[in-house]
Order: sequence, then structure tokens, then C-alpha cells
Amino acid sequence: MSYIQLKGLCKKYPNATKNSVTDFNLDIEEKEFIAFVGPSGCGKSTTLRMIAGFEEISGGELYIDGKKMNNVLPRDRGIAMVFQNYALYPHMTVEKNISYGLKNMKVPSDEIKRKTDWAIDILGLEEYRNRKPKNLSGGQRQRVALGRAIVKDSKVFLMDEPLSNLDAKLRVSMRNEISKLHRQLGSTTIYVTHDQVEAMTMADRIVIMKDGVVQQVGKPMELYDHPVNKFVAGFIGSPQMNFFDVTIEGNTVKFADGKQMPLSENIINQLGGKTSGLILGIRGEDIKLDAQNLEVYGEGKQSAVVENTEVMGNENNLYFTFGGAVAVARVSKYEISQVGDSIDFTFVPSKIHFFDKETEECLF
Amino acid sequence: MKTRNKVLKIILVAAMILLSLFFLFPVVWMIANSFKPDAEITADMNSVQAFIPPVPSENFFDNYVSVLTNTNFLLYMGNTLLYAALLIVLGIIVNGLAGYALAKIKFPFSDKWLLIIMMLMIIPSETIITINYLFIAKMGLLNTIFGYILPMIVNPFNIFLFRQVFVSLPDDVYEAAQLDHCGPVKYFFTMVLPMSKTVVATVSVFTFLNVWNDYLWPSLVFTSSDLLTAQIGLNAITANENTTMGQTLAAITLVTIPVIIIYSLFSKQIVEGVVSTGSKEG
Ligand SMILES: Nc1ncnc2c1ncn2[C@@H]1O[C@H](COP(=O)(O)OP(=O)(O)OP(=O)(O)O)[C@@H](O)[C@H]1O
Ligand SMILES: [Mg+2]
Repeated sequence: MSYIQLKGLCKKYPNATKNSVTDFNLDIEEKEFIAFVGPSGCGKSTTLRMIAGFEEISGGELYIDGKKMNNVLPRDRGIAMVFQNYALYPHMTVEKNISYGLKNMKVPSDEIKRKTDWAIDILGLEEYRNRKPKNLSGGQRQRVALGRAIVKDSKVFLMDEPLSNLDAKLRVSMRNEISKLHRQLGSTTIYVTHDQVEAMTMADRIVIMKDGVVQQVGKPMELYDHPVNKFVAGFIGSPQMNFFDVTIEGNTVKFADGKQMPLSENIINQLGGKTSGLILGIRGEDIKLDAQNLEVYGEGKQSAVVENTEVMGNENNLYFTFGGAVAVARVSKYEISQVGDSIDFTFVPSKIHFFDKETEECLF
Repeated sequence: MKTRNKVLKIILVAAMILLSLFFLFPVVWMIANSFKPDAEITADMNSVQAFIPPVPSENFFDNYVSVLTNTNFLLYMGNTLLYAALLIVLGIIVNGLAGYALAKIKFPFSDKWLLIIMMLMIIPSETIITINYLFIAKMGLLNTIFGYILPMIVNPFNIFLFRQVFVSLPDDVYEAAQLDHCGPVKYFFTMVLPMSKTVVATVSVFTFLNVWNDYLWPSLVFTSSDLLTAQIGLNAITANENTTMGQTLAAITLVTIPVIIIYSLFSKQIVEGVVSTGSKEG
């Protein structure tokens, strides 16, 4: 049996007209690191707060370690939580913040001391031990919040956008620290974020949500390579996947602006005879400009004029109008193109996705 | 522009100094004369000399010594301090909990309750003092500390003050505390109140001043002389024909000192209390 089970979890806030979370099903294994991602308002926090016990569960069942938790008090669920705004006790020192829960749990004082020292040590908070939260930086505060969570030996960690108040650089380093902590402690972790990079880099499995409904659950690369629908395909990956409205004529893809691209028969066959109402999706890095790829996939060669470039350092993003949409290609930093340059490119056929325009579901 | 601001500021400060002198001069006169024997007071009541205390001599504190030793004034001051302390503690608990409920807990018609409490703030306490008196009398609590304190505990003004501050306390701290095995009651006393030190100080100061300066209510409840408050004691002392003018002034000075101390220590809280109830609705 899985460690945490969400069975058809629903949430309808009082006075709300529709569900904020609908039929959420998920099995989480012990020690797994799960990330909930999705756009703002999709119900990530609501789900997390139902698991924590801060929001009543309107429908469905929640099991942690085999026990039904629907009506169990938050503190008895064996969880620890890290909040977006840290939620530190402002009038207590770092040390007191971290040890407060243990004190309330009547843990013997030498053990409190040992655990607090341990947490302060692995989080590198020694020199701030006697400071109040208001005299700490954002990253230090978040570390105190982590400390408060880890001292309690909770089996489950819940984190709601813990890094969103930090600057980009600090986010990256805290991301690594949290991953490291997770490996050290092995506690089951549910991590809410709207940042798909965080989800991709940290999670064992990712849950993508939209409008309160789970879209897809899977390993990061599964979601990246095999999105189940256009939403997931567009949400994961940066820059976003390119989408084109297309129709099929014979073995040829016809774009909205009349451009044509031949495809092999077995790709066309997978569409099951559907010839219109299709969306073709391809990631920026699967649009190739280099001679070698143009050689291999030459028969689908297209050309366009670069309209904008984003120099990222390690790679460049080239924007151009193609097939009735603005497309972006991700090329290596050695393939230098300027705005106004005419480029030849080709799609890597095996990396092409097709979506049903109506249902937005991925056909393959 | 800058120099104009500076000139304005100087004028303003000068005006305020003048104004405060105007308010202060009776106080200065009182203090100065509280150290003089009656003959000296009546000899010169309005020259500049009348505002200057005598040179300290061995009789310098005579008036104070006789007020403190020949009357119960020290007891009355002690009583008042005790009542104030009790009312501060009880008032913070009762009004604080009420304010917390109005700020953070969802219960039916909570917004209406807030409205009612705000309306109660308009009613001057003098208008209900007869009813309070009858209640206390019927309960047989006249001449008891409890009877004096009971109607003074609940204070809509303080409830409102607490509510305004508690509304802005973050909810996630409460959630974090819950996970740290801190129950709601413990949370209120060990988290909410320490996080709201300013309003607690404000309410305490207001309560103290209220009790210290109150005359009407204690004069109705207390007839036994052991329980009197300083203000009433003062009245009893000054009404006594054996009391000299110097002793009267000494007693008044003694009553005034705590108020002056409180105002000078807590002027920030007092201003804040007045401002925060007058303005924003959270
Ligand atoms: N207390 C509430 N009462 C009514 N509706 C709520 C409440 N809290 C959240 N909602 C609604 O529920 C939906 C999901 O909200 P939730 O906070 O879970 O989103 P989220 O995915 O965490 O978004 P974000 O990334 O912005 O934090 C939203 O449409 C929101 O408006
Ligand atoms: Mg959220």
C-alpha cells in the first residue's frame, strides 16, 4: 500500500460556485518527492492544505500510512509544513522557533537540545541562533522554517512554494539544499510550485494540475517527452513548445500559411485517419538548423527569417514566423544568427507531437 | 522651499511650547506650593515667586509626610494600583479574546457583532452607570472589589482596538503553531499577545489611566473607607477641614505623578491607540 493515498479528493469552498479541486487521485510512495505544478489558481495549495488538514475535505478520502485522515487534526497527521511566507514566530529566536514544537510535544530537554543543534548545524544557522526572524534575510528565514520542519521527525513534508520569495540565485541554491535534505532524511515530500523548473529538477514525480483537475502524473522526463495533452506540453519546458494548426493531405502536413512538410507514412498512420482539426507540436530544441540534421531530415526543409533572438549564453533562442504562428528554435551558441537572417531548418520527425484541436489531447 | 519648511517648523514648535506652558502653569504652581506651609502660600499667590519651589530645608517634605502618615492616602493609592492591575489583566484576557474572535474566527453574524460593538463605543459610560449600580447592588456586591471591577472589564473600545490589530496577524503562523502542537488557548497567550505587544501596552495604559482617574463609579460602589481609590480618597482628604492647603496640594501632586509618568513613558502607545481607532478599517 502506498504511503499517502488521495482518493477522489474534492474541495468546494463555501460560497464558491464550482469545485476548486475535483477528483484528485494519487498514490505517493514512501520517500518519494512529489511536485504539484500548475498555473495560479489551479488548486495546488488547496490540495496541499487538505492533506495538511487546514482545509476540510469536501469529498473523497485521504490516507496517510494506511490511516484515514479526513477528520484527524493537522498535528496528529505526522506532517511538517514549510510555508510560502515562512510563518516563523516573530518574537522567538531562531533556536526557539526550531525547538518550539518539540517543547510542546514534551520531548526530554536533552533530546530537544540535540535535535535543535543538529538542525541548526545542517542548515548552517549557527551564527544566527539567537537572532529574531526580522533580523534574518529571506533565505535564512526559509532555512529556519525548514529547521522547524525537520526537527520533528515527521514522515511527511509539505511545502507550499517555499522559494517563491527568494531571488533567482538563492532559489537555485535552496533548491539544491532541499533536494539534499530530502535525500538525507528520506521523508516523503510534497512540494507545491508554479515554477516548472523547480518541479523538473527536484521531483521524482510531477503532478500537473489545471482548474482543479490533475492533467498528468509522471516522472519529469515522461511529462517532457510524452505529454498527454496540449496543456501539459505547453506548461513543461521553456521556451514553450511550438504549436501549429495543421491539416494532413496524403503524407504531407499543411500549415495554416500554406507551407507543406512531408512526413513518413508510419507517423501519418498513427493519426488514425484524422486529417483536420490537428495541432502539431514541436519543442524548440527539436527544430534543427545545423547542416548535419538538414542533411538527414532534408526532405522537410523549411525556411524563414529570424525576427528576434534571445542570447542565453549557452544557447540562443531564435524567433521567426512560420506556419501561421511565431515559432522558436533553440540552437547552440555556435549557430550564430542575426535578426533578419534567412534560415533553413527542419523538424526532427520523431519528436513531433500531434494534438486534437478540440479535446487538446495528445494523439501521439 | 526648505528654509520655508524650517521657519514653519520653528513657529510650530514655539506655538506648542507656549501652549504647553499655558496648560502646565497650574501644575507648576501646584507642585511649587505643595512644598510650602500655608502661610507662605497665601502670602504670595500670583507673583513669579509663587511658581518657584522653596529652597529645600528640613521642613521641605512636611506636607507630603503628613498626607502620607496622617491619612489613608497611601492605602488608597495602593488600592487603585491593585484595581488597575486586576483590570489590566482581566481586560486583556476578555477584550483580547473577543477581539481575536472578531478578527479571526468564523461564526454566524460575526460582522454584525462587530458593528454592535462599534455602536457600543458611542454610548458614554455615564449613561449606563445607574443600571450598572442597580445590578451590582442587587447582586450584593456593593463595597466589594469584585463589584467595582465587574462592569469595567468589558470595554468595546479595547475590543475594537484588539480586533484591528489581530486582523492583520498572518494565518499561516497559526497553522505552523498548530503543527507544533500549540493549542488555540496557548496560541493566544504565547503567540498572539506577544506578537501584538504594542496594542497590549496601549490597552494597559488606557486601562490604567481610566481606573486612576475614575471618580464617579468608585464613589458609587465604595462606601467603606478601606477600599477607596486615590481620587475619592483625595476628595475625602481635601474635604476634611483639618487639612491644610499645602497638604491638599501635596495630595493632588501625588495623584498626578503616576499619570505624568505614564504619559511620558507611553506617549507613543497613547497616540497610536487614538490614531488606530480613528482611522483604517481592516
Ligand atoms: N478560502 C477560499 N475561499 C474560496 N475560494 C478559494 C479559497 N482559497 C482558494 N480559493 C479558490 O480555489 C482555487 C484554487 O486556489 P489555490 O490557492 O489552491 O490555487 P494555487 O494553485 O495554490 O494557486 P497559486 O499558484 O496562485 O498559489 C482558486 O480559484 C481560488 O480562487
Ligand atoms: Mg498557492
